[in-house]
Amino acid sequence: MPARNLEKWNKPPAGLKPGEWVDSRIYSDQDLFEEELTKIWKKTWIPVCHESELPEPYDFRTMSIAREPVIVVRGPDKQVRAFLNVCPHRANTIELRPSGSFKEGTASGNPKHMTCMFHAWQFDMKGNCVFISREKEGYQDRLCPQDVGLRRLRCEVHFGGFVWVCLDDKMDKSVAQWGAGCFEALQKPLDAEPLEVFHYHKAIIPCNYKLWHDTNCEFYHDYLHYHNRITGFNDAYFARKNTGFPNGHVVVGSFEVQYDQYKGFESRKEVSFPHLPPNHWYMIDMFPGMNFNLRGSALRCDIMTPLSPDKVMIEFRGLGLKSDDPETRQARIEHHNTIWGPFGRNLHEDLLAVTGQGAAMHPDADRRRILHGRHENETIHDEIGMRHFYDEWGKWMDRSPSNPDLKYGEGHNYMAVNP
Amino acid sequence: MSTDTAAAIRDLIYKATLCLDDLDWQGWLDLCDEDFQYAIKAYSPEIRKDMCYLNGSREDLANMTEMLPKHNTDHSPLSRHTVVYEVGVDESSGTAQAVSAFTVHQTQLDGTNSHVDAGESRLFLVGKYYDKFRIDGDAVKFVERTVRLNTRRLDKGSHWPI
Repeated sequence: MPARNLEKWNKPPAGLKPGEWVDSRIYSDQDLFEEELTKIWKKTWIPVCHESELPEPYDFRTMSIAREPVIVVRGPDKQVRAFLNVCPHRANTIELRPSGSFKEGTASGNPKHMTCMFHAWQFDMKGNCVFISREKEGYQDRLCPQDVGLRRLRCEVHFGGFVWVCLDDKMDKSVAQWGAGCFEALQKPLDAEPLEVFHYHKAIIPCNYKLWHDTNCEFYHDYLHYHNRITGFNDAYFARKNTGFPNGHVVVGSFEVQYDQYKGFESRKEVSFPHLPPNHWYMIDMFPGMNFNLRGSALRCDIMTPLSPDKVMIEFRGLGLKSDDPETRQARIEHHNTIWGPFGRNLHEDLLAVTGQGAAMHPDADRRRILHGRHENETIHDEIGMRHFYDEWGKWMDRSPSNPDLKYGEGHNYMAVNP
Repeated sequence: MSTDTAAAIRDLIYKATLCLDDLDWQGWLDLCDEDFQYAIKAYSPEIRKDMCYLNGSREDLANMTEMLPKHNTDHSPLSRHTVVYEVGVDESSGTAQAVSAFTVHQTQLDGTNSHVDAGESRLFLVGKYYDKFRIDGDAVKFVERTVRLNTRRLDKGSHWPI
């Protein structure tokens, strides 16, 4: 079979149905990217950190969603709240540190207050403005502190203690409703007792964020990790189901991993999570780009922050049980990092692959067709997870993923053609 | 402190650097005693915790490096620039310890767009080695290496010991 000329290259494979591919412009177009931030990332629930990262009253964490600076604080009432991390005075970023505590005063402000270092405006843990420097001298009676409080953001602690934030006040769903049942498979293991983060690192990868989500959604890339995944290549592995849930989420069913089949590894049966059979492996991929991966003894969570069409920051967290004794915690850390750490067996390979995709689909690259057309009874190598995701993407964007020039209803969307 | 022993420890650290740069894993492990322990650690100001990114015994490292040819990997060479800052020798117990600073540069080969990027050197990691040694007569061997990274944005990461 000869390689194809340009005309043939530009035609979809004859045997695939419409909707079983996407147009590469959805991974590279600057305008589409800006539209995604506005229509998706500013409208949906995003997990931003874990509550164990701010265990004490007055602890805080900072982050961003769709370029908007966000701060999460724990109040003296132990409630976790989220605010825009922007001073109402002159729009300075209020807190620049990644994390810390407001218990102690800062160079410009008092203890137990969030203080903008620029002009020393201060806010309490509920976002109320409680101090304006030289207020009367400058504003006389024209400005009320209650008119210059912080911008409060929707915030919930849910699903194993993750802190979820939504920039859209009009979001009509709670986090549980947004999850639409996709958490159920892991609800008992992750909600049985408090969890704690033990691992954090970040990667900035030159590729579109959806390419990383695709990789988390499909297991056909087992061949990328062939000698590692050999541990799992058995009938039970190939029978794992990919199940789509409303709102674009996908759950990958479990099976028992034979860790001792990989040279240098031992069985991980001794350490698990409550209600999770030893060595089992569940995965939840949530729209628009979060991944919860419970593999035996450790929970991994990927949170993406899209930076540009061809750049994404991925924050990797590893979690165990807060009640872990030192020996158990050490085992979880080792199990997590031998696979998923920055020097582990799998993560480096996954990131290498999406970097290669990013190089081939940079913003100025020719339009390409990306296939999502494998059907294997909705099991592990079936690409239904990606088809499910892109159908949801099409609805939020009102564009066809196969041809983003067309509206969702006009395009050949897989779920529309094959409901 | 024995000047000769301190000099031998410095030489050993630099020899380890050369072995690691050359991907000579066996040569590197030969510098380590049977009970050698290795770890890559970092403190995260994000989660305010000390973290361990990788740890293992000499056997774990031998298994890991033996499996490397069976993994896809970024083959861009790493160049370690090591400077030994401090060596302490305890003649009575036959032990020693050292602190060295390192930077690691990565010269791009096949990890990104090789047509454009190959040949470019980028700063990859910054940190310190905290090493412990056993002294047996004229022989000195590593018994522990803790790599403490300042760098926590690790992008693609690596399959290779640092």
